[in-house]
Amino acid sequence: MSNPVPGLPASATDPRAPEVVWRRMHPITPALKGWKALVALLAIVAYNMTDNIRNIGELMQDGRWRYVVAVVLVIAAVGFLYATIAWRVTKFVVDDEAVHLHTGVLFRQQRQARLDRLQAVDIVQPLLARLTGLAELRLEVAGGAGSAVSLAFLKEAEAEALRAELLARAAGLRVRPDEAPAARAPEQPVFEVPMPRMLASTLRSSATGWFVVFVVVIVASVVATHEIAPVFTLVPALLGVGGAMWTRVNQGANFRAAISPDGIRLRHGLTEARAQTVPPGRVQALRFTQGPLWRGPDWWRVEMNVAGYGGEKDQQTENVLLPVGTREEALLALWLVLPDLQVDDPRALLDAALGGSGDAGGFTSVPRRARLLDLVGWRRRGFLVTDRALFVRYGRIVRRLVVVPHERTQSLALKQGPIQRKLRVASIDVHSTAGPVHPMVEHLDEAVAAALLDEQTERARTARAGAMPEQWMRRPEVL
Amino acid sequence: MTTAAGPFDPDDVTWTPVSFRLAHARLTVTAIAAVVGLAITVPFAVLVGAAWAWVPAAVVVALGAWAALLITRQVRAIAYAERVDDLLIRKGILFRSLVVVPYGRMQYVDVTAGPLARQFGIASVQLHTAAVGTNATIDGLPPEEAARLRDRLASRGEARLAGL
Repeated sequence: MSNPVPGLPASATDPRAPEVVWRRMHPITPALKGWKALVALLAIVAYNMTDNIRNIGELMQDGRWRYVVAVVLVIAAVGFLYATIAWRVTKFVVDDEAVHLHTGVLFRQQRQARLDRLQAVDIVQPLLARLTGLAELRLEVAGGAGSAVSLAFLKEAEAEALRAELLARAAGLRVRPDEAPAARAPEQPVFEVPMPRMLASTLRSSATGWFVVFVVVIVASVVATHEIAPVFTLVPALLGVGGAMWTRVNQGANFRAAISPDGIRLRHGLTEARAQTVPPGRVQALRFTQGPLWRGPDWWRVEMNVAGYGGEKDQQTENVLLPVGTREEALLALWLVLPDLQVDDPRALLDAALGGSGDAGGFTSVPRRARLLDLVGWRRRGFLVTDRALFVRYGRIVRRLVVVPHERTQSLALKQGPIQRKLRVASIDVHSTAGPVHPMVEHLDEAVAAALLDEQTERARTARAGAMPEQWMRRPEVL
Repeated sequence: MTTAAGPFDPDDVTWTPVSFRLAHARLTVTAIAAVVGLAITVPFAVLVGAAWAWVPAAVVVALGAWAALLITRQVRAIAYAERVDDLLIRKGILFRSLVVVPYGRMQYVDVTAGPLARQFGIASVQLHTAAVGTNATIDGLPPEEAARLRDRLASRGEARLAGL
């Protein structure tokens, strides 16, 4: 293939080896990608026809139904043809530095994702792909929304082999074509979330609270008005809450985490299976959350910021490190991200951070005069700086803990509003990449805040200087 | 600078204020808005003829005057400082903020100047990191200072660049 995409210069992709082998997606891809459109089309037709039952009768009688079927078939054929052409022009190649992907029928697109900027590799299998033994491979690079490189669909085994190859290359190991394909790095299971706990935790979440509220409102309004109509107005709300609960269970089902030289591996999903690999040093921030009803069993949810992950819609899916776990598992989750915490007793640190209040465990809390700004939770507010990370604790009804590794601090801001100024307190924003975690240390004593800003800037700098290289299998001295 | 020493005034920092032409530009915008406001409210008052009908016009004048006072103070409060490893930007009087952006974290730098800004001979420099929350914009720089800052930031960022 001398000129892979007509109309664009072949050298734009510059494969250093001239005999570069372009690879294609699996041939069933158009059918898998097109079925949703077909279902939507059928739904529209069905909806319009059943609008009036008598219409169907008429259609059946005078034979006009043939036209309807013909139109549907033609649209389906055109769609299938387009998908096939799209499949024909979609091809990719992996070399030592980047993944090159060519797509687009009318508007051609050539995308290169540099492997040393790789943030995560996911294998996603929607239900239908699972049944046909196919999978989508997604490479996340830190380019904001829509920057992921999606290779859909590949055979499951091929996707897994490709992931191993990509990770090996991103880690800085050279892969020669004449050698055996890169072996998958061995992994060590760390924790898994049993299904009963997943279900119980969803029942104890805020969604249940809303569910109960809606049901009470419905019952009350039916009793008060003696009419059945209010039920229908609240049905969408109930469906929404039910949908949220289902999503949560669906995404968190069969959740397993493991550690390997390639980083953190997460597997989860009931209908749509997802296997995530987050290489070392890619987690930008962590947040531990415990709602009021999770306090009895001492359950925690851990979410993370990873550059490239998480436009708002996927936060339930991609940004979860632990959907629900005990305190021991929360500690393991922290260990996955920060294996070398460099404190004497990590368990005591986490106890103080998750459940403690005031100055216990070395935390610096907010001054008493700041209680006006946070009447309920002011005793819980506090921060602790270790050699490796910043721990921010807040929230009394919903307890939260945010952890930011020093070398992942992007920028910092010191802020003070008029009331804070009166009370001589100030807040610090620690800017992190897009995701569910927004680290903030609020209402600190002015002097403490200024000192923290200064120290954090300094710590972030020294931590970055000593951080491991982006290509994590290379030793720093080689670079 | 009238700001009292405090958390927003680290000791070892010499602040560079932005050009006062930024205040002129912002005052112009305010004046245009006030004129538009008066163009609506004054004819209204004249047509109605009653004393209360002048209230909207008075509100427009009062708001304009207040904004004018605020703008000059706000612009005086904006300052930036280049340190060895990071850039500091200070803003605000009522809601104060001090942003620290390490050069090594910068992903790219934007220099922008709208038609009005060009008329007044000022430009904006905005620093972007991988974080969406980084709000590091310096408005009201003279164009040559903006260009110098851009080049300086770019070269320092390159020297200190480390992944994400």
